[in-house]
Amino acid sequence: MIQSIGYLAILPALIVAVASVAVLMADAFGAPAKAIGGLTVVSLVGAAVALPFGHGRSTFCAAATRAGEHVSCSYVADDFTVLFQAVVLLAAIVVVLLSHGEMRRSALPVGEYHFLLLAAILGALLLAAGRDLITLVVALETLSLPVFALVALRRYDGTASEAALKLFLVSVVSSAVTLFGISLVYGVTGAMHLDRVAAGLTHVHGDLRPVAAAGIALTVAGFGFKIAAVPFHFWAPDVYQGSPLPVAAFLSVVSKAGGFAGLTLVLTAGFWPYGNTWGPLMGVLSAATMTLGNLLALRQTDAVRLLAWSSVAQSGYILAPMAGGAHVRPHQWMTATAAYVAMYAIMNIGAFAVVTVAARRGIRDLESYRGLARANPGSGLALAFFLLCLAGLPPGIMGLLAKVVVFRAAVGGAATWLAVIMAVNTVIGLYYYLTWAARLFAAGEARRVRAGRAGGVAIAVALAGAVVVSAAPELVLHAAALAVP
Amino acid sequence: MHGYYGTYLTVVVLFAIGAAIVGGAFLANRALRPHRPTPEKLTTYECGVDPVGEGWAQSYVRYYVFAYLYVVFAVDAVFLFPWATVFSAKGYGYVTLGEMFVFLAFIAAGLAYAWKKGVLGWV
Repeated sequence: MIQSIGYLAILPALIVAVASVAVLMADAFGAPAKAIGGLTVVSLVGAAVALPFGHGRSTFCAAATRAGEHVSCSYVADDFTVLFQAVVLLAAIVVVLLSHGEMRRSALPVGEYHFLLLAAILGALLLAAGRDLITLVVALETLSLPVFALVALRRYDGTASEAALKLFLVSVVSSAVTLFGISLVYGVTGAMHLDRVAAGLTHVHGDLRPVAAAGIALTVAGFGFKIAAVPFHFWAPDVYQGSPLPVAAFLSVVSKAGGFAGLTLVLTAGFWPYGNTWGPLMGVLSAATMTLGNLLALRQTDAVRLLAWSSVAQSGYILAPMAGGAHVRPHQWMTATAAYVAMYAIMNIGAFAVVTVAARRGIRDLESYRGLARANPGSGLALAFFLLCLAGLPPGIMGLLAKVVVFRAAVGGAATWLAVIMAVNTVIGLYYYLTWAARLFAAGEARRVRAGRAGGVAIAVALAGAVVVSAAPELVLHAAALAVP
Repeated sequence: MHGYYGTYLTVVVLFAIGAAIVGGAFLANRALRPHRPTPEKLTTYECGVDPVGEGWAQSYVRYYVFAYLYVVFAVDAVFLFPWATVFSAKGYGYVTLGEMFVFLAFIAAGLAYAWKKGVLGWV
């Protein structure tokens, strides 16, 4: 059988893949660093432009093999895919712009850096589009493997090597667990495509039910690692601190958005018949993740470590709607999760952009942020706005709405206890976000920071996104509601 | 010895017999031999000469690069063989031929990168 390939559907991913090889070759054959950075940004913009052309198409389809089956496709570019791919690409563009100054300062190899970054972005794009378990696992690995190297790229830095090793070990273990889970699910259902897995799970033989449940729980573990949910969270702070800051931003936004896209797909399209099993599991994970992340964020004195723990806590909020499991129609909680991920991506990448720019002047400790907004009104006010968004306070309407959406989904999902825990956590979050924001305006002599052209553009893009979505949040909410079948 | 797991019992018994033979030989040896150690007897045996230097030595692992490059060709071959059996069959054709060369070009990019980085020269 010959499979025809719908090139329009995979065009965004294809552009990124070809660009990654082109960048590596260009560097090996002596292209200047500026051209390589430019090529990377252009290819990402090109991929974003190509998104509408692939919209609504699907490819790599397998014909039905048994009675009652439909054609199942491995790559589907529906609304959900396009929304997540757009979020990933926009965040990736900001990350590449931020990397511009980091290259010289940390003496990173330019070609290899951009190659690895593009390869990881490709993994995140595929994670949103894959509709069978093998594609999703390969995408998850494509997202993970380059990141180990990216973290370790500052070769003579001990913390970077330690961070990379930690990331590697946790990732390998969680991959192994996921593969085991998938093998159990395959054993029970005999299918790899998510829709067929779901069909198989609706009538599982009595003896095999525990096997299916165990398989589902283990499969979720691998995605739990990517989004830094609680049992798999402890790599996050060390890795964020040890890696080049644009890479930390990548991990906390692009990689996480990819992980959530995959998790959402697996749970809704594949495992929905077992919503009663994974619903409570997600609830417990969510509560543990947000509580631990927030409590540890309280004690941090380093800006990057604080962002690391706060992004663990934010993962908890995003997981909360999933606790509804079988009680809610997937539509409701998926909308909440998709909207929160999109909004979180914008505000967190913005905060990371300012922190990266500030770190170039040695401003890493929270105390050294004292008076930043006085010395640098532009980046200081931008950071304050992003922090207010993350805390969920006006004028950061975006963050407030994201929280409301998630609360509504959690309460509607009969997980009232979770909503209570989330309320407590939001208050804890307010404390550390606000003390940081207050420091920016306090009396003190923070150094002047120079964002540079690329850094300035990066902050401006994130800020524009945050302001637009705060002013017209229905843009994202509608897109998220549309994106969910 | 019934059923599926019963067949494993044979393997376990075989392992037990093997362990008993080896362990028994060592035990018999220990029981029969005299034991009078001196410092000279306890040094590492190095062809009868006094040992020099440490047990830890650094060696230059030079072959790993070639192991990596071998993987490039191995991956090539894994896809080339099945492709070679079908590409002339009905319904395939020039598109299939072209697709394989695209794939080879991707693989060759890795080799070109290694060559440009000076990995292929023997130091």
